[in-house]
Amino acid sequence: MTPTTRLAAKLHRRVCFVLVDDAVLAEELLARKKLAAEVAGRLSDRVLLIRPGRSAAVIDELKKMGHTPQVVGK
Amino acid sequence: MDSTDAKQSSWSSRIERTLNSYSESLLQTVSDTLVKPRTKLPIPAVIEKCLATLGNPPVIDRRIKDLPEAARMVLAAVSRSGQPQWGVGHLVSLSATLGHPDGVEPVRALFLAGMAFPITKEDPREIWDFDLWLASAGGVRAQVFVPPVVAERARVVPLEVLAVESESLPGNGRETDGLDWPLRLATAWQAVSAEPVRKTLAGLLFKKDRGRFDPVGLFAPPDSTHSPAESGLLSLVWAEAAGLLKQEGETLTAPPFPPIWDGPLFPLIADLTAALFQLQTWDPLVGVTEAENPVPAFPTAMLLTLLLVASAPPDRWVSPAHVAMWLWEHHPGWQGGLTKEAARRHGRPWVDTVLFGLAHPLGLVDVYPRPDDPPVRLSPLGQSLFANGPEPAAAPVLPQTLLVQPNAEVLAYRQGLTPSLISLLSRIAAWKGIGPACTLELTQEQAYRGLESGLTVAEVLQTLARHSTRPVPPAVDDLLRRWATKRERVTVFSSATLVEFGTTADLDAAISRGVVSIKLTDRIGLTADGKEPDFRHLRLTGNRDYESRPFPCMTVESDGVTLVPDPATADLLLEPEVLRIAEPIPGDPPGVRRYRMIPDKVRASATNGTGLDNLDEWFQIRSGSPLPAAARLFAAGPNARPARVEKLVVLRFPTPEVTDGVCQWPITADRLADRLGPTTVAVDPEDLAPLVEALNRIGVQVEQFHGAVE
Repeated sequence: MTPTTRLAAKLHRRVCFVLVDDAVLAEELLARKKLAAEVAGRLSDRVLLIRPGRSAAVIDELKKMGHTPQVVGK
Repeated sequence: MDSTDAKQSSWSSRIERTLNSYSESLLQTVSDTLVKPRTKLPIPAVIEKCLATLGNPPVIDRRIKDLPEAARMVLAAVSRSGQPQWGVGHLVSLSATLGHPDGVEPVRALFLAGMAFPITKEDPREIWDFDLWLASAGGVRAQVFVPPVVAERARVVPLEVLAVESESLPGNGRETDGLDWPLRLATAWQAVSAEPVRKTLAGLLFKKDRGRFDPVGLFAPPDSTHSPAESGLLSLVWAEAAGLLKQEGETLTAPPFPPIWDGPLFPLIADLTAALFQLQTWDPLVGVTEAENPVPAFPTAMLLTLLLVASAPPDRWVSPAHVAMWLWEHHPGWQGGLTKEAARRHGRPWVDTVLFGLAHPLGLVDVYPRPDDPPVRLSPLGQSLFANGPEPAAAPVLPQTLLVQPNAEVLAYRQGLTPSLISLLSRIAAWKGIGPACTLELTQEQAYRGLESGLTVAEVLQTLARHSTRPVPPAVDDLLRRWATKRERVTVFSSATLVEFGTTADLDAAISRGVVSIKLTDRIGLTADGKEPDFRHLRLTGNRDYESRPFPCMTVESDGVTLVPDPATADLLLEPEVLRIAEPIPGDPPGVRRYRMIPDKVRASATNGTGLDNLDEWFQIRSGSPLPAAARLFAAGPNARPARVEKLVVLRFPTPEVTDGVCQWPITADRLADRLGPTTVAVDPEDLAPLVEALNRIGVQVEQFHGAVE
């Protein structure tokens, strides 16, 4: 592969997800019923996909749980 | 381009946009007064000439001189306010107060002379006539603006009509540092930043939010003896007028501090004072009003109060009683808005509140310490703003003004507080007390908001260290770092662009080229800020927008249970959704991914989860076809009525037409158990004989299959 080769890629735009430090923390978040309802799926053990348009609700719920989430792309 | 040039350019564009909205004849009329052209010019040239004239101070001076007396007085008064935007009703009121009760005539004169301009909508309709525009823009509620370049020249026009008695007194008066109100406005910003304020459809506050701004604690007035009514709500509406708060829909939010807070105190006080003249829903004695009066007296009466004090020579003192009496005799709308008690004293409490409760804490006036009827005079800052005095020299600032204590409390001595330090502290620490020395507390919530606003923990610590009289205690340093680390444990990307590569090797290559920097899975990555990657390195094979409605990206095979996502169009949400009802089929070749529906999962999804209708809708969205029959079978499961084993005789007719007739004729139809196909029907063995007999009667022969009926 030469450096100029373009890499085939598919874009997923305007995706909302939560990236956590470790898998245990992801489990902890999923155990929260209100938060789990907003999770559309798990992309990996540390990445939770959020239903479109529900980021504000997720941030609120995380704060209620005592977390101070870093929000990217406000 | 420096900020002054940028501001000038912004005003020029605004004037140009307004002139473009004038009809040709109106533009010619304005140009005849403003430019006085010798020949008729095309429209673009006329506008260009108007803009050039407004950039020529000596010509502006001549045009101001040519204005009718009433218009010149009004222009001179509003130009001293520092506020370029005024309501027509206020200008009419000012004109009447200054001795020219000519209605909107002075405003019209200012328009026609090009010294003021109507404020139009973004996409204005053409303005043919100023009277018609006034009527359509809300009459007295219509807004106009005076370009700063005009105001700069008009502010030196004398206002002889404004004159009150003054006295000479020995010694100096009490001065203030001007920080009281900026601190309260910063506190209002912090309160809204912590929890936005909601407004009703009528623009009023809900009771819960009003309670947050009660005039106690941080929102207590600077001078309790001359307390402006509802000082907490004043801080809120004032902060909004000064651009510290912003209304988005029905919610008041706290955007970043305006750039003026990065500079010295003097321009900030000038800006906040100018913002006061924009308050339409607050009165010093009544508090927040419901904006029932389209032309409240506060903006003009406040301006006139300061201009009356400014009318005295700089070293002489003015009694508020004289100011009140002048307003009482001249201002047409002021008396009517006073409370009964204030009206009984000819408005004196109103003037006292404005001078001692607002202007003095802002540092605009000094107060002579006479217990009985203390007089006031403009401070050097007030002289500069309202009496064309020189700009006062900035007071020396003590950079080390904070004391960070091990319990995370911060003591801030006011001698060293600057607007930029106030704004920075408001972002990282919670205000606890405003007094000669202010107190703040470093809390996790406020530190979190500070970090979310773009600060880094290193910047916070540097700020504290730079302004502290002693080193930041290690415990506080550790606390801030721990809060920052905790914040980094959970990251919410609210609207990111993920890049999905075909292979892990491609993702690794993209990371090495810097196309993406975070690896989410073995094939998916994203940039550090979640924004679009550099497309020069990518060949796009698909593109999905997750806030748009999903479209079909999956097919259902003919067996009704095998689901095949289309790799080019499938989104990341599809697989988690599919896994609720199906499992991957093992053994598929690389690049092919299929799923098979599992009866138990489908049933669980239909009964416990989304429901059969939602499942059907999901199939419609994701595959473009309804829920397959097999899935319905799985969903029905134990709830379906039990099947029954029956013995029936099958009768096959030669053509579908004959079968249709048999099914329709009541004599034969009553004997049929079911129609099985185009030419076949099922018959109960007991009904066979009567059916055959009926058919025979009409000439239809039935070949009896031997053994059909036992």
